[in-house]
Amino acid sequence: MEKRRKWKYLSLCIPAFLLIVIFMIVPLGNAVKVSFYKWNGYSQKMKWIGLENYGSIFTDKVFGRSMMNTFIYGFGSTLFQNIAGLSAALFVNKQFKGRNLVRLILYMPIMISGVIMGAIQYYIFNYDNGVLNNLLNLFGIGNIYWMESGIGSVFIITLINSWQAMGFCMLIYLAGLQNIPKMYEEAALLDGTSRRQIFFKIDLPLLMPAITTAVITNLIGGFKLYDIIVTLTNGGPNRKSLSLSYYISLLYFNDEKAGYSAAVGIALFVIIFIVAVPINQYLRSREVEY
Amino acid sequence: MKTEKSGKVQMARVYAPNKKVGWGVYVISGFLILLYLMPIYVMLNQSFRYITDLTPRLYLPEKWTLDNYIQAFHDPNLLNGFKNSIVYVVEVCALEVFLGGLAAYGLARSGGKVSSALRTFNICVMMIPSLSLLVGTYSLMVKFHMINKIWALSLQTAAIGMAGTMFFYTSFIVSIPKDLDQAAAIDGAGILRTFFQIILPQLKPVTVTRLIMIAVGTWNNYAMPTYLLTNTNKATVILTVRKAFYTAYGSVQNVPLACAECAVALAPVILLYLLLQQYIIEGQLDSVSK
Repeated sequence: MEKRRKWKYLSLCIPAFLLIVIFMIVPLGNAVKVSFYKWNGYSQKMKWIGLENYGSIFTDKVFGRSMMNTFIYGFGSTLFQNIAGLSAALFVNKQFKGRNLVRLILYMPIMISGVIMGAIQYYIFNYDNGVLNNLLNLFGIGNIYWMESGIGSVFIITLINSWQAMGFCMLIYLAGLQNIPKMYEEAALLDGTSRRQIFFKIDLPLLMPAITTAVITNLIGGFKLYDIIVTLTNGGPNRKSLSLSYYISLLYFNDEKAGYSAAVGIALFVIIFIVAVPINQYLRSREVEY
Repeated sequence: MKTEKSGKVQMARVYAPNKKVGWGVYVISGFLILLYLMPIYVMLNQSFRYITDLTPRLYLPEKWTLDNYIQAFHDPNLLNGFKNSIVYVVEVCALEVFLGGLAAYGLARSGGKVSSALRTFNICVMMIPSLSLLVGTYSLMVKFHMINKIWALSLQTAAIGMAGTMFFYTSFIVSIPKDLDQAAAIDGAGILRTFFQIILPQLKPVTVTRLIMIAVGTWNNYAMPTYLLTNTNKATVILTVRKAFYTAYGSVQNVPLACAECAVALAPVILLYLLLQQYIIEGQLDSVSK
């Protein structure tokens, strides 16, 4: 009887998992299959070439560059967002009038589509009549070509992504800070501990669960970055600011290399897996019970 | 919950050594607000200009005009885009909340090896970048004539988000006492009826938060819709706005019109955010502390 009930409960999962299997697992299997073929994406002809697509990953300079960018988007955004998010959380955790307004506005960009954000930011970082250059002109500094080089573009994309999604980290840390029992801090203050010591010895270790959530979410988000790049640089100059996600779509629809595109897709999944799982394990092991 | 929070606030007031807030806090707040409202300002500033207005983008328009908005509202593509986006968002929300919630209930209540294996599977699925599935999804959808069908895109989007929704709901359902289910079972309610009449109402506050997050994410979704909805008639708002900027790059540089369309497309999201801020921010805070 008990067992029958258990299977009844499990049967409730069927529709949801059916959807996942049809729209994620089957396409993933299909992508693995396509990655062994040379195919332009629409013709009937598919030529089996074995592991050649995976081999060309290692010789493709654009792939190397895009992978490096993807790492910068992932780790760079994670670093910026966590530092900024923790600072913002400490800031809005203070008691002052208007703190809710600050919190509200800092979280707002998350609601805005990355594509639209990139399109607007383009007019801020633009060389000709961009808002940032307008501001610099006020101080007598001439126009700067912000997105002239690949490195500059990658840095600006990372910065904008961090700026936009920082509110998420802020909320996670804010929740973490509010969950720390006040008595620890009181006890430490009575013992004459300094504010800085309290932060590093009490708050930070107790924030570890929040740090795990924030770091993993930011990492995966940064590794999947796509939207902002489309409208801000369109992968330019000369495909130097591509992320792997964007490279996949270009390979498929512009270069008509469906097989290679599928191989890059599988590589991206593997990279995310290899990076995120150990970091997650490490961070979890640092969490303390209290 | 309320009393607990105000208790914390009072304690913070008593023990915080520097309870007087200096003007520095307001300077920082002002700076942060400016930094975060900058893109909105740039967008609105552009949208009220004539196309011939070349004053620096930092400053207000030379001559104000509403023409761009009038033109935007007369653009059949934009209105059609709104219709498509609303259909898309409603479908995805319904699918994810009902199927995801139901599956989460099944997973949380059945327990055992199968359930925990499915949960691990879910976590792995959450790491699959959606662009890795591009080749697999697109070629299969072409084969089964599912391109330019909003329902097909909705199913795909819901499938991508399903694992996350299940993960989110499971943690809340675990905290609902099992006695409730048993009482319902004794009264002769089946599992489905128990879910819809007992469990779902209990989950109302977190469902609101989750619904908002799904709705915003779906509304802003870009990568898959671009490739799966190629017909202008089927384009979502974001796709339409993106196109407005795209033509702006090429032949006629009508940035003001694109910005006006952008403002119209953003308005519902920002409005929703301001109206439902307590559900979004407090809801996020609560779901994180789980």
